Amino acid sequence: MPSFPNQAVGRSAGTPRRERVFAMSVVLEGFGLVKRFGPTVALGGVGLALRAGEALAIMGPSGSGKSTLLHCLAGIMKPDAGEVRLLGERIDAMGERERSRLRRTRFGFVFQFGQLLPELPAEENVALPLMLGDVSRGDAVRRAREWFGPLGLGGMEGRRPGELSGGQAQRVAIARALVTRPAVIFADEPTGALDQATGHDTMGLLVDATKRNGASLVVVTHDPQVARWCDRVVEVRDGQILPGSQGAEPSPVPAGRPLSGETTGVLPEVAG
Amino acid sequence: MSGLLGLAWRLLRGGGRRGLLGSGLTVAAVAVSTGLLLFTVTANLAFQGRADRGAWRNPVAATGGAVAIEAVHLDYVNERPITVVDVAALEPGAPAPPGLDRFPAPGEVWLSPALAELAAGLPADRLADRFPGKGGGSIGGSIGDKGLVHPEELVVVRGQDPGSPVMAARSAVGVDDIAPTRIADFTGRRTDDAIGYQILALIASVLMVVPLLVFGGAAARLTVARRDQRLAALRLVGATPGQVVAMTVAEAVITAFGGAVLGAALYFLATPLLTGIEIQGGPWFVSDMWPGGLAVLAVLAAVPLLVGLSAVVGLRRVVVSPLGVAKRETPPAMRFVRVVALLAILAVVPTLGAGVGVGVVATVLGLAFLAVNLAGPWVVGMLGRIVAGTARKPAGLLAGRRMIDDPRAAWRTVSGVAMTGFVAGFIGLLTPGGGLFDHGDSSALRLSVPPAEVAEVTAQARERLSAAGVRAEVTVRGRAEGAGPSPRGRDAAPTVLVVSPRGHDVASVDRARTALDGLVPGRSATTAADDDRSGFRVLGDIGTGTVVVLAVSFLVAIASAGITAASSILDRRQTYALLRLAGTPLKVLDAARRAETLIPLTVMGGGAIAIGMFCALPFALSAMNVSGAITLLVCVVLGFAGVIGAGAASTPLLRSVTANPAPRPD
Repeated sequence: MPSFPNQAVGRSAGTPRRERVFAMSVVLEGFGLVKRFGPTVALGGVGLALRAGEALAIMGPSGSGKSTLLHCLAGIMKPDAGEVRLLGERIDAMGERERSRLRRTRFGFVFQFGQLLPELPAEENVALPLMLGDVSRGDAVRRAREWFGPLGLGGMEGRRPGELSGGQAQRVAIARALVTRPAVIFADEPTGALDQATGHDTMGLLVDATKRNGASLVVVTHDPQVARWCDRVVEVRDGQILPGSQGAEPSPVPAGRPLSGETTGVLPEVAG
Repeated sequence: MSGLLGLAWRLLRGGGRRGLLGSGLTVAAVAVSTGLLLFTVTANLAFQGRADRGAWRNPVAATGGAVAIEAVHLDYVNERPITVVDVAALEPGAPAPPGLDRFPAPGEVWLSPALAELAAGLPADRLADRFPGKGGGSIGGSIGDKGLVHPEELVVVRGQDPGSPVMAARSAVGVDDIAPTRIADFTGRRTDDAIGYQILALIASVLMVVPLLVFGGAAARLTVARRDQRLAALRLVGATPGQVVAMTVAEAVITAFGGAVLGAALYFLATPLLTGIEIQGGPWFVSDMWPGGLAVLAVLAAVPLLVGLSAVVGLRRVVVSPLGVAKRETPPAMRFVRVVALLAILAVVPTLGAGVGVGVVATVLGLAFLAVNLAGPWVVGMLGRIVAGTARKPAGLLAGRRMIDDPRAAWRTVSGVAMTGFVAGFIGLLTPGGGLFDHGDSSALRLSVPPAEVAEVTAQARERLSAAGVRAEVTVRGRAEGAGPSPRGRDAAPTVLVVSPRGHDVASVDRARTALDGLVPGRSATTAADDDRSGFRVLGDIGTGTVVVLAVSFLVAIASAGITAASSILDRRQTYALLRLAGTPLKVLDAARRAETLIPLTVMGGGAIAIGMFCALPFALSAMNVSGAITLLVCVVLGFAGVIGAGAASTPLLRSVTANPAPRPD
């Protein structure tokens, strides 16, 4: 198994899924999330908890509200009602600047396509979030390069996104999402633009790399094959989580709970 | 073909709000280009018209049978020149001078409307008393537009008897005087002054048209750039290269035609302002600003065609390979040949001099201009490599990489201002300083007198002045004394009568002029300042021309910077939106955009100013002077402010394309 640069010490690789995650603390939580676009209700009071190190799939057909849910959880959108808490701290009430900083430092994002700057070589694309966090350019690029080998991108450091295949570009995007050692990775249809085999590989790498680095993963997808890689799947229909899906279970963590040692211990310390 | 046209039209209309915004930008760019192109064409035609309308006052001696005699000299009022044309018919059938409906009978006086108005407005002893023929003549009528260079021109045509002393053969004495000439008709010949203005207008046109063409081309490619994806998709579903080209060109041409019509409309709305630009001592006739139906049609046809052509060039890559656009690869580096071309042309410049034909100069100037434009992207690419290599912050890194990635795009944003820098540098050296010449004395009137008549004329002058109530000192200067400031005609009369009115003010001088009018046939008393006046007018006009050229250049430059800034945001909207979504602060993206513009602007703007100055060296009147330096400084400040402002103006667009992070409905 490849070794990832941020890999948390003491966690064994290849842990069987759906075993340990339920014992862990909650990283990210949404309560009673409501979001309307004009007369359309995209979210009708949704609650969801994400545990440390967990991979969660949000499934649903087009227009079900799954992307809106992801945007609310990630602090991209402000819900009309309800709360979102990251490690117990409310993020939905923060201003745009604060939420921006939060997304840059505590979250990582992988989108379907088009997220890499075409002008920058792959390694600089990965180094960019570090440089935005005031890491010196030399350090940022050095740390970015460490990701290329483990993600099967050895030798691609100097290539530009246009010179990479779709799967390679997504792996660069995964490296960029993880390089800042975020608490949660949000992936919005990360394999939507890939063929099945490549999508399969990419999804495997995404889940594996995320877990090994102690981060949690939220994947929005309409593809059951993709969802199968995750520890838990919630189904969204018409702005509601389907009762049968696993997301509806009550949160074990009371709102406003202060950060516990257990939770922070899971997150690797950010070097530099 | 009509099916393709229909599809192109539907694609244009169905482009959505952003597509419309893109098309709108192109329409705006083409409109600005067309309006200014019409202005440039019209300016040349207008100067030609002025030269033609003034030609009859620059008579050509008849080789065969003459029908009339014509003499011209300048008189002055209120420090403005009056062109006095004396004509005498030798035959009954002599043709009427332009602007007059018949040949003036002896003693008849025809005034231009501006002169008639001035005569009515000033006290009679300052001006009007000079005209209603003291010999019992009458006002024959008003000179029509055909005989006038500009509407404010002061012209008087006086009918004379062929035997009158005014028409007697003599040599010209004043700087701008023309001795009586026997003529066959009133065609005449364009004056050297008029031809000089035409040449200056041509040079100004070259300076304005080149950036306009560059700008128009950029606007055309802007349409294509945004359609890249869609066209590649069309190629992938099986459209032939010919169909793709036809559709894109059709779309570009439709858009450009809309822009061209809008530009023409804007131009005609602006004509009242343009006619007010005073050159050659006056504003323009409204008809001067109408370039003629044929020219308008030609421009309306040429602009969309050029845009279409430019679109084809921009499309080449897409057509070659359907994947050429979908896959983005490192573009091949710019060839150094671009810089060699510039150096080659600059090597030619020092060989130019005053003796070279104006066509050659205009050509070399135009080529140097184009070569700067050719070398620009290469230099931007080099700068990009340096900036990207040394950047420590994300904004600098982004800016540098972007300059390497598409040096042409970065160059397009600043090319307008750099080109203006070229113009400013060129003109900066050619602007003569105010201190170069001294204004002559404007209070002492001088009149050349045939030596034999000195005593008689002096007595008459004293008598006339006292009758008119003008207290003046009258002295006579001999040959030796008159050598300095005396009129510079080849056979200048050796004796000069100097009249210094006590008042020294304009009104007293005018009254003295009126009193002395007709004292010596065919001559008017002038001051030293009068004789310098036409020279100063030319210098003033060069200043006006400079301001016009720079204003046009800046308009183009800033419009171009604004449009490229906006289109670059539209082109990268997805990546920008996703970056912002992932937490990248807007100000980093903005800073990168700014750096991407300001770094090339600083280097290329400065370089272009230097090259412009270098090109002007062979023609330089003097070293850089204060007014030239001020012009340059103002240019630099305006250029930077304009480009920064144009870039800042597109920040709300950046905000709006990144503000809605959920483009997908679910």
